[in-house]
Amino acid sequence: METVTLTIDGQSVTVPKGKSVLEAIHASGGHVPYYCYHPGLQVDGSCRVCIVKIEKMPKLQTSCSTACADGMVVTTNSPEVEAARASVFEFLLVNHPLDCPVCDKGGECPLQDYAYSYGPERSRMEFPRRVFDGEGVKADVDFGPTLMLNRNRCIMCTRCERFMKEVDGDAQIGVFQRGVHSEIATFEEKGVVSLLSGNLMDVCPVGAITTRDYRFKSRPWDNPMAVDTICTGCEKGCNTTAWIKAKPEWAKGARLVRLTPRFNEDINQYWMCDIGRFDYHWVESDRRLLQPHVRSSRGSDATPWDEALVAVKAAVDAAGASHARVLVSGHASLEELYVLKQFAGLTGGVTFSWRHRPKPQPANTQFPIPAVDAPNLRGAKDLGFKLGATDSATDVSGLRAAVDTGAVKLLYVIDPGPDGSVGDTEWILAAKQSGKIATLIVQGVLKSALTEAADIVLPGCAFVEKDVTFTNATGHVQPASRVITPPGDAAEDWQILSKVAVAFGATVAQTTAAAVRQAIASECGSTPGYSALADLAFSRPVSARQYMQASNPMERGKWDTMFQDLPPIKFGDDFGPLPRADVIPLKPV
Amino acid sequence: MELILTPHVNTPNGFTLDFYVKQGGYEALRKALSMTPDDVVDVVKASGLRGRGGAGFPTGMKWQFVDKKSSKPKYICCNADESEPGTFKDHVLMERNPHLLFEGCLIACHAIGAKVAYIYIRGEFYHVQEVLEAELAKARAAGFIGKNIFGTGFDCEIFVHRGAGAYEAGEETALIESLEGKRAQPRLKPPFPAVAGLYDCPTAVNNVETLCNVPPIITRGAEWFASLGPEKNGGPKLYCLSGHVKRPGVYEAPMHVTVKELIYGEQYGGGIRGDRKLKAVIPGGSSVPILLPDQIDIPASFDGVMKAGSMLGSAGMIVMDETTCMVWAAENLLYFYKHESCGKCTPCREGGDWLHKLLGRIERGEGQMKDIDLLLSVANNITGKTLCAFGDAAATPVLTTVGLFREEFEAHVREGRCTLKADWRSEARAHAHAH
Ligand SMILES: Cc1cc2nc3c(=O)[nH]c(=O)nc-3n(C[C@H](O)[C@H](O)[C@H](O)COP(=O)(O)O)c2cc1C
Ligand code: SF4
Ligand code: SF4
Ligand code: SF4
Ligand code: FES
Repeated sequence: METVTLTIDGQSVTVPKGKSVLEAIHASGGHVPYYCYHPGLQVDGSCRVCIVKIEKMPKLQTSCSTACADGMVVTTNSPEVEAARASVFEFLLVNHPLDCPVCDKGGECPLQDYAYSYGPERSRMEFPRRVFDGEGVKADVDFGPTLMLNRNRCIMCTRCERFMKEVDGDAQIGVFQRGVHSEIATFEEKGVVSLLSGNLMDVCPVGAITTRDYRFKSRPWDNPMAVDTICTGCEKGCNTTAWIKAKPEWAKGARLVRLTPRFNEDINQYWMCDIGRFDYHWVESDRRLLQPHVRSSRGSDATPWDEALVAVKAAVDAAGASHARVLVSGHASLEELYVLKQFAGLTGGVTFSWRHRPKPQPANTQFPIPAVDAPNLRGAKDLGFKLGATDSATDVSGLRAAVDTGAVKLLYVIDPGPDGSVGDTEWILAAKQSGKIATLIVQGVLKSALTEAADIVLPGCAFVEKDVTFTNATGHVQPASRVITPPGDAAEDWQILSKVAVAFGATVAQTTAAAVRQAIASECGSTPGYSALADLAFSRPVSARQYMQASNPMERGKWDTMFQDLPPIKFGDDFGPLPRADVIPLKPV
Repeated sequence: MELILTPHVNTPNGFTLDFYVKQGGYEALRKALSMTPDDVVDVVKASGLRGRGGAGFPTGMKWQFVDKKSSKPKYICCNADESEPGTFKDHVLMERNPHLLFEGCLIACHAIGAKVAYIYIRGEFYHVQEVLEAELAKARAAGFIGKNIFGTGFDCEIFVHRGAGAYEAGEETALIESLEGKRAQPRLKPPFPAVAGLYDCPTAVNNVETLCNVPPIITRGAEWFASLGPEKNGGPKLYCLSGHVKRPGVYEAPMHVTVKELIYGEQYGGGIRGDRKLKAVIPGGSSVPILLPDQIDIPASFDGVMKAGSMLGSAGMIVMDETTCMVWAAENLLYFYKHESCGKCTPCREGGDWLHKLLGRIERGEGQMKDIDLLLSVANNITGKTLCAFGDAAATPVLTTVGLFREEFEAHVREGRCTLKADWRSEARAHAHAH
């Protein structure tokens, strides 16, 4: 790789050729603020806060738009640079409403953080601010089905515009008017309509774009814990962070308050889709299955686990193991499938089912969302399961034919995903109704028509409630970590299956999930990615502050040099001595 | 003195193709086509022609920078956005001598290997566009534009594109964006248009007057052209005289002419109206520093004005006599800049509006002493930190008026009103509105 060597604040730094000065500064542990720059978008050079001094250049240069060159001498902290940077911050705040106390971004806002660290002590602006709210018009407007837009807060970085153009592929956002009256808007009245809309909230460096889902729901300091995990919405396997609320009663009892994308260069870069981002409310909904249920002449009753497992054994014995078929959703994890595999041969057969749902997206999108709503089909194949005639579309025809001929006395459905994860279930309901399936056992997470009709219901865990692994479509074996504890008596699915195995007359040797993964590693170790399963570590909740420091490498620097667990107060000399030692002292500008 | 660019602007039908051809029109093109493109570039380089759009950059050099080895098409963009306050010379050339511009465009295309030239014309110049389109059609019918010009195998088209009316659209990369159908906002440089301009292809952006100078250079040679003016400031130049002179208008002169002659000379401005005292001259369109009366005995050349601490810019000479309130003049100009800021970068978007508000407050007599230093500070904070040169242009009227006429600002604050004679003030306003 070709490299260039330059000097940044007196320190020699070598970076790959083609990197910008801003990237070199960050890579070498230094920091300059930035707004219009975003590592996932093209350079715009418009906000001007990243200016630095480069020797031999007459003017200060924006570091984001200047390519590194051999022998360059860059200064980020001379009085000249600091004063210039402070003046840009003064301009940025001239018309900013500073309604931080009611702004959703408050506490994790780059404008707040940077302005406190790099901006002037106070503004000299004495005129009324430009506002967009007027008669009959609010600054705060609907911005499509998922978003809200507050134009007063916008700092015109145009990240949102560029995201839609460059990543989404449908340039719905533009800047309207000009000069100080410039405003962000969509060309069509209906606002932003995109399956990637949530990313606009992430890229917006201020509280101008917020999601309806998270708006007014929490503040960063109320989400003290965060867990790195992955999305299991589809076969892409986006890396995400799940945020946990300290006082769930403030969020209608939910602990999981939001999911945000986490950088993974190979899979999802900086982004995730709205399905993965917003479709999590079912996890802590009152539709969850909390206890095993067994149907008797009195109806379906909640039962303890041991009684439910006795009932399963009785049902299997009555049907005869070889007349029992298993229908498993593409949401089952590697651990679950590996346990299933150990008794699959004793059953009448295992069939996979999932939902195939092409997503309406622009043809040229840089972030295509797969049509296969199942996170682990590749994993199932790697474990040696046959998925059906085609790989992309569900094929349950064999099972249906067997049901039609009455050969299936017992159907065991494993469905640990959200609604619809097991694909079409109408035919199962019809077969159960007509008596073609004598006994229906459902291991799942949500109450549904299928669990209503089932003879035995076994409550499992949702994707954020268990430490399990999935193999995405591109062969990345990734851990999904436990973020919150499962509700009621719900149990981890691989454990349920290892107990159900007994009913089929098999014994599962592994007694821990780690042992299951070790077994998978030794069996599939030659397939790339699997050998690492042996000693895989799952993320545990960490303090959000620590998370910020350890996560997204591009946002990282900001949190390394800023404090964000304290209320944003600037400590000047007139406020007395600096308080606690962990506050990074601010330089007087 | 012989007029090169504007000899027939007052001749009836002097703008038509017939008239132009009778005067030997399009012969320069014929001659240029018999030369190699590199030779054309060399001649223009040797002539020392400097861009008339504002920066005075050598045109031959600009053409040489165009990446000829690129496999992409090349383009000439003629900058006819003329929106700098006090500037109205390109308007005259396009309306009264359009074929000179076409001929210049065609030679430029030949020189850089382009097959298309776009004339990007200011949104408000609707009537000029009509003239251009009509004459363009005639030239096309006569075979001067189109396929196989003069049987040399040279194909070239010229298109006129009218913008929506924005000063910023005159900045070369904003012009290119606008031509591409986007908002007229500048691009980051580098890459420069010579490498990646219109549709990411090598492009040269040239001012109308610049291109109009090309045919005479080809016809009469580089030496002749250079000898017309002082060293490195050769050729004819159009000056736009406006403000308090007796005879405002566009005047052609070589750059030996002094600013003083332009204002007082009988064949030019003819002196200050009412024989009042001169107070200030902005020599290069509103974006450049003011010259005081004792500074005007200098050649009105790029280098001459530069030496005096200002810039020739677009050669829009705004003459202000003693009746002019400088606070009001600055406010007036800043209204323009805050209105025309494209809003892309922070300092200009926010700072221009802030400056205008501060000036308004002082002008109305509601200002405080600290506002004057604040004006300087805000203007200095804009300077040098913006994406395009507009930011510096917007800050200059403030820096120059406060710098040279600070006592007037202080008087406004002290007295709570303008301290010039009341009738002067109303006169100045009436004059400004009449234009
Ligand atoms: C804000 C701004 C406005 C400009 N407006 C014009 C204009 O109206 N006409 C023009 O010829 N050049 C204008 N320019 C200069 C152009 O960017 C460019 O330098 C010029 O067209 C180059 O032509 P030349 O080399 O022939 O002078 C403007 C520049 C700036 C920064
Ligand atoms: S809405 Fe947000 S992302 Fe879009 S331009 Fe404004 S500040 Fe930037
Ligand atoms: S693309 Fe797939 S994995 Fe990524 S967030 Fe959306 S549903 Fe989840
Ligand atoms: S300085 Fe910035 S805001 Fe002003 S016109 Fe240029 S790019 Fe636009
Ligand atoms: S981050 Fe460099 S100009 Fe905005």
